[in-house]
This record gives sequence, C-alpha cells and structure tokens, in this order.
Amino acid sequence: MKLTELFREGKFVITGEVGPVKGSISRDRSIEPNCVRDAAFLQKHVHAVNVTDNQSAVMRLGSLAAGVFLKAQGIEPVFQLTCRDRNRIALQSDILTAYSLGIDNMLLLTGDHIQLGDHKEAKPVFDLDSVQLIHMAAGLRAGHDISGHPIENPPDMALGAVVNPNVEPVELQLIQMKKKIDAGAEFFQTQAVYDAELLERFMEQASKLGRPVQVGVVVLKSPQMAEYMNAHVSGIQVPRDWIVEIGGADKADRRKKAAEMTGRFLRRVKPLVQGVHIMPMGWVDTVPDILCEAGLAKD
Amino acid sequence: MHATIQKPIDEIVGYIRPGEKVFVVGCDNCAMKCNTGGWPETRAMAERLRARGIEVVGCTVPGPPGTSLCKLSNTRKVLMEDCAAEAAQADSFLVLACGQGVHTVIDATGGAMVHPGCDTVFGGETVSDTEVREFCSLCGECIVEHTGGLCPLTLCAKGLLNGPCGGAKKGMCEVNPDQPCGWATIYERLKQLGRLDLLEPYQKPKNHARWGRPRFLTVSEHENTFHFNADHVTVRNDD
Ligand code: SF4
Ligand code: SF4
Repeated sequence: MKLTELFREGKFVITGEVGPVKGSISRDRSIEPNCVRDAAFLQKHVHAVNVTDNQSAVMRLGSLAAGVFLKAQGIEPVFQLTCRDRNRIALQSDILTAYSLGIDNMLLLTGDHIQLGDHKEAKPVFDLDSVQLIHMAAGLRAGHDISGHPIENPPDMALGAVVNPNVEPVELQLIQMKKKIDAGAEFFQTQAVYDAELLERFMEQASKLGRPVQVGVVVLKSPQMAEYMNAHVSGIQVPRDWIVEIGGADKADRRKKAAEMTGRFLRRVKPLVQGVHIMPMGWVDTVPDILCEAGLAKD
Repeated sequence: MHATIQKPIDEIVGYIRPGEKVFVVGCDNCAMKCNTGGWPETRAMAERLRARGIEVVGCTVPGPPGTSLCKLSNTRKVLMEDCAAEAAQADSFLVLACGQGVHTVIDATGGAMVHPGCDTVFGGETVSDTEVREFCSLCGECIVEHTGGLCPLTLCAKGLLNGPCGGAKKGMCEVNPDQPCGWATIYERLKQLGRLDLLEPYQKPKNHARWGRPRFLTVSEHENTFHFNADHVTVRNDD
C-alpha cells in the first residue's frame, strides 16, 4: 500500500520507525530482533514503519532486507535509501530489487556522513545527492535508468523525501524542498521538531508547495538524551523547556511523561501537517499514549 | 598550490634499509611555502637522518629560487648535471614535496628508487603565509557557475550539488562543528550577490568519468587536450 494513496484519501498518515539489528536475523527465527518486535507492536497504531538505512552511518542489517522481512509479516515498510554508501548503479539496482520484493514506499535521503558512524575510515560515496536520487527514482518509475536506457517493468513506488525545518537558513531548505518536488518527491517527513512556532513558520511557506508533510518527532526519554542529541545528532535541536520538563519527572515516570509531552506537541501542531512520523527510539510502548494524548488514531 | 605536511621522521627512517645511501630533494615552490621542503627543511632533513645513523650523500632544492620540483626539465638538469656526482652515489632519493614531485624525481633520474617524505593533503589557495585552504577538488569539470564560484564538491563535506543535507547545526557542518556548512556559505554569498535564482535549476549528477585516472593533458599553442579514462576532450583557446 502506497502512502500517497492514504494522503490522497485525506487520511492523517501516521508512521513509526525501527532501526535494523546490528547483525543478521536468525534463520530459524529463534531470536527475534528488536526491530521486528518493535515493528509488530507499532503496526497496530501506525500506517507504516520506516526502516532506516545504516542510520548514523553505523553498519547494520540492510534496510531492504529488514523491510522485506517486515512486509512478509504484514507490516507496511517505508524503505529508507541514502546516498552515502552506494553509487548510482547500486542505488538503482536496490530500487529495482525493492520493488521486485514487494516494497511500495521509499524515503530517499542524503544520509548521515561516515564521520558520525562506526566506520570512520570508509569511503563516503555521495555519487548522487538526495535531489538527484529522487530524480533518478522518478526516472525509473517512468521507465528509464539514469543514463536513459529503457527498463522492463518500471518500479511503481511512492517517493518520499525529507526536509529539516530546524536548519538555518530556512529559505535554503525551502529551495531544496521545491527542487525535491520538481524531481518527483510525493510526500515529506521532517527531521524531529520540538518547537511548534518554528514548525508553524516553516509550514506557512512549505504548505504552499503542495505536497503532504509529516512532522517528525523523536520521543525524548531523558535530559541526557536531549543533551546528547544537541551535541551529536545532526540537524536536531531540543529546546530548554523540553529538557527541563522531562528532567522534572521521576525516572520511573519518564515514559508516561515523554508520551504526554510528545502527544501535547502533536495535538498543537497537527492542524499544520498531513501526518506524523514518530521515532520512538525503542520506546514503542509510548506510541499508543502519544497518539491518544494527541487525539490521533490510525483510521 | 599542492599542500603538504612532512611524514613523521620515524616513518621516513623506517623506509630506509640498512646501508642505503640517500639523497634528499626538496621543492622551492609549494613545499617551500608549506615549510616542508624548502632549503631549510631539506638541509635539516639531511641532518636529522644523519643523526639517526643514515648515510646522506647530498641534498638539493632545484633552483633558481621559486622553481617547482615538478618541472621535469629543470629537476633533471639539477639532479643529473649540477648534482651529478652526489646523486650518482645515492641508492635512493627522499623527496620533500608532493606526490607529483616524487614522480618527477623518478622521471628526472631515469627511474631511481624514491621515498615520499611528505603526505600530499590537497590543492589549495595560499590565503596567508600561515594558511592554505582547499577550494577545489580537481574534479575535471567545473560546476561553480551556479554557486557563485564556491565549489560545493569541496566546501560541502558530502559534495552535494543541489543544496544542503539536513545535518547542519547553527550554520555549522554535521561533520565538523568548527566548520561552517558549505551550503550555508554558498547561500550567503549568492544572497549577497542578489543571485539566489542560480540555486533554483536542477543540477544533474556529476560526470565522474572526468575524474577517471590517471589523467593527462597535452598542451599546444592553440588547443589543449584533456584525457580521462579512454576518453578525451580537445578545446581551442583562440576562437
Ligand atoms: S567544481 Fe569544484 S572541484 Fe571541480 S573544478 Fe570546479 S572548483 Fe574544482
Ligand atoms: S552540513 Fe552542510 S557542508 Fe556539511 S555535509 Fe551537510 S550540506 Fe554539506
């Protein structure tokens, strides 16, 4: 099921996210990796689950393999594909493979730099940037590869892209967003946003571009996590008041608190956007409470 | 200019086999400016090696002053004529210059054994006597027309051509919080120039064939031919 169909039906699209295991999936299924267990839990509450592509440049099980695995369990995956580790040949090949294996949704991104990950001496590829990746994926869907050669059975998948309202200058993000749309992006997920006013200012411009936007939220588990993200996670800024509020809750109550804060934020911003992308960072059990607090439900 | 840093002395010493006689060669242009292979560093290297028990049969920085080591005809004359006697005794040449200089010494000596004394780090602008900065990655097909002369391949850590990634924080690059995001820099410049329109058109993927190594250039009065992979382009410079 393509997410674009849900947007077309006017649904408020809810997605979650899991990161594949650092390792492989056991053949006899004797060990169930967290990503599978988390996705199975999320499935009841969200329309689809993003599967990250070696997120933060930390080497793991492939997003395609994990996505196909989820699909086989009846969970709708959003296959994330980055420009960091593959040249245009490998990217196109993976897109064709994804479609052939039943994937309906892709999220096409630049990818975190290798310096952020656990293989700092690897060669960064970035043969294409995210705009070119989208352009290429749209080309495949239209029946030709990036060099112009016709392909058989063009892959028909929904093409998602990302945008980051936190990054200054915002005007440059908007120019970029427009380029992604012109290249073929059909929906957007944002980087995690914590500042409602910032999102409001951003959506004032972004909504004019006429593509559905899902606001991204990362469930904030502790003040330490906020400090860590502020220092080390690219493109995210957690404001003081969030840090103070989560820090004010007893450790035992933090899950409840995190769900309440995230839900409250979503309740406020949901009229601005067409969906939400929740990144629970392992705390999948907060997702039902977040949605309840926000007054949202998968329909 | 080709920016260089000297290799650690222990690494250089490790290249030299027992009893091997060494001749040290510097460069009076780029390496001189980087304080890695001018006369003072070349003489000092000879002494540093001797102090570590290595037999140094001679040293030179091919002149006249300001001459690049990579100018083969000059380096050949200096090593094979001016310094012929010492050079003839050498089992190997330690080159205090960039990798082009290392190869120039191979050519100049008709194939002698060479050791690199420097790491060649990038090609850069000499922005002051104490700083060299990289603004071009020598990609073979310049695309800075749409970025106001600032190279996104070089200034952006990911070499993105159509705009920034979403990773910058407070204007700084996700890779290095001390380095401004290259795309923020490009944006500010174009905004100042009143040319943000240049950012709007789609930039197609880079033609990496132009990076196809090893590359070479043939130069004549009216035209140059640039060879890459099995391909080449010839461009006239007079019409
Ligand atoms: S695009 Fe950049 S790397 Fe290529 S030639 Fe121009 S300045 Fe150099
Ligand atoms: S933060 Fe800026 S310079 Fe760094 S990789 Fe992203 S776009 Fe390039």
